[in-house]
Parts: sequence; C-alpha cells; structure tokens
Amino acid sequence: MSDDSVPLALPFLRFADSSSEVTALYRELRKPLLRYLVCLGLSSDEAQDVVQDSFVSLQHHLAAGGTQDNIRGWLFRVAHNQARNRQSSYHRRFLHPLDSEMDVVAADATPEKAILEKEKFRRLRAAVGLLPESERECLLLRAGGLRYREIGDVLGLATSTVADTVERAIKKLAEKCNV
Amino acid sequence: MCDFQPKLVAWLDNELPENQAAEVERHVQACQQCRAERDRYEQVSKTFDAYCDALMSAKTHPNVLRWVPAVSGALLALAATVLLFTWQRPRIDPRPAVTPRAAAAPIQALAAEPVLSAEPVAPKKIHRRQAILPVQEQVQQPTAKWQPPETAVQITIPAETMFAPGAIPEGMNFVAELSIGPDGSVERLRLRP
Repeated sequence: MSDDSVPLALPFLRFADSSSEVTALYRELRKPLLRYLVCLGLSSDEAQDVVQDSFVSLQHHLAAGGTQDNIRGWLFRVAHNQARNRQSSYHRRFLHPLDSEMDVVAADATPEKAILEKEKFRRLRAAVGLLPESERECLLLRAGGLRYREIGDVLGLATSTVADTVERAIKKLAEKCNV
Repeated sequence: MCDFQPKLVAWLDNELPENQAAEVERHVQACQQCRAERDRYEQVSKTFDAYCDALMSAKTHPNVLRWVPAVSGALLALAATVLLFTWQRPRIDPRPAVTPRAAAAPIQALAAEPVLSAEPVAPKKIHRRQAILPVQEQVQQPTAKWQPPETAVQITIPAETMFAPGAIPEGMNFVAELSIGPDGSVERLRLRP
C-alpha cells in the first residue's frame, strides 16, 4: 500500500510499518489505553496484558497492510473488544466499573482536602453508576482524549449520536453531583 | 432554557464547526446562564478526569505507604524478640561455657574416686586415653587436687517447726542439725538443746 493512497490520521504514521513508529505510538497511547481499561473494570494486570496484545495486533495489522485511518480509534476498539473477551461474564465484571469503593484520594492530600475530594468522588461515583453503559463508555473514551468520531469508531456509533450521548451524560453528572 | 445550551458540551470539546463555535462563543460571552452552565460542565469534566486518574493510580500503584507502619512494626517486633532471646541466654545460664576438655575433668575425677566407683576403672582404658590424648594430663592436675567437702550442707531445724503445736511439752526445746554429704546422704544427725 503506497503512502499517497492512504489517508493517515497521525502524521508520524507515514512509515507506520516500521516498528519505531509503533513504538512512538505505544509511548503516546499506552497510558490513555491503560486508564480506559482500568476504568472499564479491568485489573491493572489485565489492562497491561490487553494493551500489549492490542499493540501486537496493531503491528500485525500494519504489517498486513491494514488501513491506517484513525489508528487511535482502531487501537481503542481492539482494546475494548479484547477487554470484553477477557471477561467470562461482561455484565458481572463491568456492571459498575467506576462504582468502586477503592480509596482514590491522593496520598499527599491534606486531611481537609482528602475529605472534600472523597465526598466529591463519592457523589460522582454514585452518579456514574446510574448512567447507561453507552454514556459511561462515551465519557471514558472522551476522558481518554478521543474525538467524537473516534469514539464512534470504537463503539460503532454515529458521530452525532456520540455528541448527543456525551452531552446528555455530562448534564446528568452536573445535576447529580451538584458541582 | 437557552437554545445554545445543547451545543455547549460539543463547543467545549472543540467538536463544533468553526462558524458554529464562533457563534456559541459570542453567545456565551453575553449569556450569564450559559456561562454558568459552561462552568458546571467544565467542572464535571475535570472531576471525571481526576477520578479516572485517581482510579488508575490506585489500581496500578497500590498505596505502599499504608504497609510501611505494619511492616516496620513487624520488623521491630522480630528484632526485639531476637534481642530478648540472645540477651537472656547468659542470664538464665550463667555457668561458664564447658569445653570438652573441661567436661571430661569431673568424669575423670569420679573415675579416680575410689569411694564412688564400685570397681576400679580398667587401667588399660585410662592408659589408652592418656596415651591418645596426652593433654588430659594437664586437665587432671586441677581435678586431682579437688576434694569434695566432707559436709556439703548443714541444716539446723528448730523443734517447733518439726512438730505440730502442742506436741512438745512446755519448757522443752531443741534443734536438729543435719549434715548432708556430697552424695546426698545424711551423714550426721544431732539434737541439741
């Protein structure tokens, strides 16, 4: 596949068949991917495995001459599907991925700040737990830095649907969190 | 509700076409209600991002500091236990360390003691040991001089402690003196007023 005929989503993917470009992509997207998978409900180890597998798949995809359009969305979609496949019961494991009682307050926070932050996160957690799955996933992918079009690619939704879903989810959170 | 409010989130995410974005921006500058909504949406988005970051941080980097006090306490307790045992040992057993050579000395002394041994020790065996370990001659020198005292323990018991009250007639009192030899037998019993 020649470079001229392929629309590239990222400028450094011009020579995407080389492993160095995949390495650069790995450095850029590893953390957002990990965060998305962890927030989706995977453990840290599972998320690491899924990220590794996703980049191996990307390497094979590019080596096989696969499309290089929207590589970010492609990676998130692969990781998302692999995460689903890893779960024996998706609904059991992903029912309330963000509804965790884990103490997520920063360790260096002062006691007052820790209490305020804990309360804020508690309200947010409760509000997120009430969102439909599609709205939750849209918010997570948006927090991962994906554009609406990329989110649509990952979740199989139209861009306008993603815009409506994100807007609806943000409004719900704003109302229920009282921020 | 303002007509521009449904576009606020997409405008904040830079997802609107340029002409629409400029229109929304002009409106937000003039509309106080939309400005307040914009601030709320921004705040929610920041909180959501912070929560995702904190969740990832908590899952990928467990708070090691929480274990530090427990681990330190356990190590301190272990160190204290080890110190306690190593320090108490000389207090519990203050006897000097017995070397094999020194340990052999009382055995040799008992063997050489004619009173305690029913039969004399075979001289051949002793001779062979002396021949093999000539250093024992030096060991025997202090033990040969060692003589057990005739009386190991002397006990004096008043009569009133030996008998029940009233068993001894009034005006009569005595003490019993017991001399116990080194082998544990009573060598002498004497009653004196």
